[in-house]
Amino acid sequence: MNSYDTIIIGAGHNGLVAAAYLAKKGKKVLVLERRDIVGGQVVTESFGDGFSVDSLHAGGTLRPDIIKDLKLASFGLGVDSIRKPFISLQADSDPLILDADPAKAAESIKRFSEKDAAAWPDFIAFMEKTSVFIHAANETIMPRLPRNFSITEGYGLAELGLDLRLMGGTDMMRIIRGIPMTADEFVDEWFESDVVKAAVASLGIHGLTLGVFGAGTGYALMHNWANRGGLSHLSVEGGIGKISEALAGAAKSFGGEIHTNAEVKQILIKDMRATGVVLSNGEEIAASNVISAADPKHTFLSLVGAMELPPEFVWNVQSIKMRGSVAKVHLLTDGKHGIPEGTVALAPSIKYLEKAYDAAKYHGISENPYLEVTTSGEVVSIHFQFAAYKLKDGDWKSEGAKVEKIAIDTLAEYFPNLKSSILNKKTLTPLDLEQTYGLTEGDLNHGQLMLDQFMFMRPIPGWSNHKTPIDNLYLCGSGVHGGGGVSGASGRNVVKVLK
Amino acid sequence: MLQLKNTPFHERTSALCQPQNWRKWAGYFVVGSYEHTIDREYWAIRNSAALIDVTPLMKYIIKGPDAARLLDRVTTRNIQKMSVGQVYYTGWCDDEGKMIDDGTVARLDETTFRLTAAEPNLRWLTMNAVGLDVQFEDQTDRVASLSLQGPSSRSVLKRVCESDLEGLKYFRLMKNKLGGAEVTISRTGYTGDLGYEIWMDAKDAIKVWDALMEAGQDYGITPVGILALDMARVEAGLFMLDVDYTSAGHAWIESQKSSPFELGLDWTVALDKPGYFVGRKALEREKKEGSAWKLVGIEIDWVGMEKLYAEVGMPPQIPGTAIRASMPILVGNVQVGYASTASWSPLLKKYIALAHLQKPYYELGTDVRMEITVEHQRKHAPAKVVKLPFYEPEWKKK
Repeated sequence: MNSYDTIIIGAGHNGLVAAAYLAKKGKKVLVLERRDIVGGQVVTESFGDGFSVDSLHAGGTLRPDIIKDLKLASFGLGVDSIRKPFISLQADSDPLILDADPAKAAESIKRFSEKDAAAWPDFIAFMEKTSVFIHAANETIMPRLPRNFSITEGYGLAELGLDLRLMGGTDMMRIIRGIPMTADEFVDEWFESDVVKAAVASLGIHGLTLGVFGAGTGYALMHNWANRGGLSHLSVEGGIGKISEALAGAAKSFGGEIHTNAEVKQILIKDMRATGVVLSNGEEIAASNVISAADPKHTFLSLVGAMELPPEFVWNVQSIKMRGSVAKVHLLTDGKHGIPEGTVALAPSIKYLEKAYDAAKYHGISENPYLEVTTSGEVVSIHFQFAAYKLKDGDWKSEGAKVEKIAIDTLAEYFPNLKSSILNKKTLTPLDLEQTYGLTEGDLNHGQLMLDQFMFMRPIPGWSNHKTPIDNLYLCGSGVHGGGGVSGASGRNVVKVLK
Repeated sequence: MLQLKNTPFHERTSALCQPQNWRKWAGYFVVGSYEHTIDREYWAIRNSAALIDVTPLMKYIIKGPDAARLLDRVTTRNIQKMSVGQVYYTGWCDDEGKMIDDGTVARLDETTFRLTAAEPNLRWLTMNAVGLDVQFEDQTDRVASLSLQGPSSRSVLKRVCESDLEGLKYFRLMKNKLGGAEVTISRTGYTGDLGYEIWMDAKDAIKVWDALMEAGQDYGITPVGILALDMARVEAGLFMLDVDYTSAGHAWIESQKSSPFELGLDWTVALDKPGYFVGRKALEREKKEGSAWKLVGIEIDWVGMEKLYAEVGMPPQIPGTAIRASMPILVGNVQVGYASTASWSPLLKKYIALAHLQKPYYELGTDVRMEITVEHQRKHAPAKVVKLPFYEPEWKKK
């Protein structure tokens, strides 16, 4: 039987980051991916002739130190150097165009509020500071609170506290206050125009099953801003899948192995210690360490099994809130869709966003959804919120058509040429996210980015340092602190924890 | 309003309970003592046959293909090894290896078990059953239980049971018929004497009671309350939840919790069974490193007691029942532990106690001193660590 130093379950970006770093350290690493392509959520796929799309995420950047350490540029990773604008569609007027250049953005804001235009550069400067803090937080391996709190484990957190303190009293307080706030309250402290407020606040609910009046969406706003590096997406040359390809290339160049079409069915455990994995074809592969980049619910309840785990731990894992409510609608057009380049959002007012969320609350599909649309030539990609994973009526085998119709009809009100330009369509429902991409309940973040599931409470309190009750089994997906976004922090951190 | 329940034997027990000495036990009224003094009840346990209503003991039926796996995971014993008709005494722990509760597991058939417990445990059982094919039924109210204890208990049962129970070994059970009712009889008890526990449908409770009382007349069968039982269990070295230890589920602070090793249950911790069970890692660690505490028996020196009382011109004063109070235990002038239940043993003619002592003072033969109050003054009576149980008659397991 083949034996490895480390087996990594899942070739998503975090799994690949971990693999590349470990392989670089000279470890014998094997990544097992159930799909036929690597990348997990960070994939560019073809759904037909000329219909190549960034399936789930329109953009993203790995943390610069990871790109540098792994020399990803030499493996074909290029990032679009110009950040395109964030465009907020309006029913009764020209859209609000928030250019990456604060001065240009302020010009557009002026049409809605002189005061907000004046506040914009300060806001951007503040958000840049929050991003520094979020990245510092994501780099910190969280101590296992409340258990095992020791000076050694608490050191990272203390250091983070110092980082925060060094930002100065005013900004520190503003960040701390912002964490539990609602996105609505967060933007309310800066702006008076509902249009400007909603455009920014939409980032606080992007990918979450929460409305802008939900506590903690202030944190999510900062989190998503930091991961995007701004309000709009920074797309990747040749598609986001290039990130995964570069990571895979780096991992292989250091001697790492990656097997696709290799679904892990079970993590082998002997005497409460992980010893390898079993594939769905029955093949057993031994390893000294196993790292799961799959979500914590799937990892513990399916791959490990509740019988191997302490009862309170199982209860905590069962209690992780997944509840995805994102659907994706991809359209191949003849190019005459009329949608401008950039990140185009349908987030016209605070109330509109909150009402869109109501549908998820009642296990339905938003009739007036919050949309975020990006284009890549002929391809139009629509991020649709909200479409609850657990539907009150009907199921996702049939309701995908409804999401598709609502998305197209809604967008066509702003872009009349859209409908006639469509040549091909591909809709991904929350169930597809679960079944195809392995995301429990279709949750892109491997667990909602909520206050009771963040930092030292991610994935569950007491187990926030990548370790698990099973010796030699570690977590490194988005469900661990550092995750949620394409930064690669979680995959980087697990390598530091691994002995 | 929260109302205490009466057991299915209430019609009989209430008619016999002279002092109206009722005690609360797990949501039920039970008889503390049937007479104004408990001597006759105590001696029935040791000399003849004592009939004790133990219905309030929590009873769970655990059924299904994974029932054995569940109990193997929850308890510290190796349940997979158990044969049908066997009964195990066991404790169960949280994942830190601290005791939650203790009771017996009876294997009624291949896939059906009965677990008894001092306190409600349904949530804990359910939490442990994630992914298992197993069902639970709380039978506490539906199944009545009587404990028939004492050297004559077998003779009494033989007169009234349809099937012979001569072959029923210690910690085994059998189905039987008694007074026209279907019953299960297990050779178990809480007295350390020869004894049986009889489990029946609540509707048959009175029938079974009457049949036993009639059959036992010639043997001096005596209804016995829980105060006399409390004395007998101390003699038998058996501890009690909430008296001698605190459930890990209720403890306010870490130091209130006890591991099975600390309670002297080393023999129930099957570290040789395969795979995970709740508390395993912590228990393995404790086994390796040794326990900080041990529950032991201590015998208080009577001559030493006499001396302390002589100072005030009195003979030693001993309460007539087991004392459920914490009494500090010292070596020199340093406190090294505490007694959690103390009792005069009428049979052994000794003042005995269950005591928690710190390492290394829990070794057999260690001389210690227990705090007593002599005419409102704190005194320290000499005592010695002795082997448990204090009393074990040869007929207990025969």
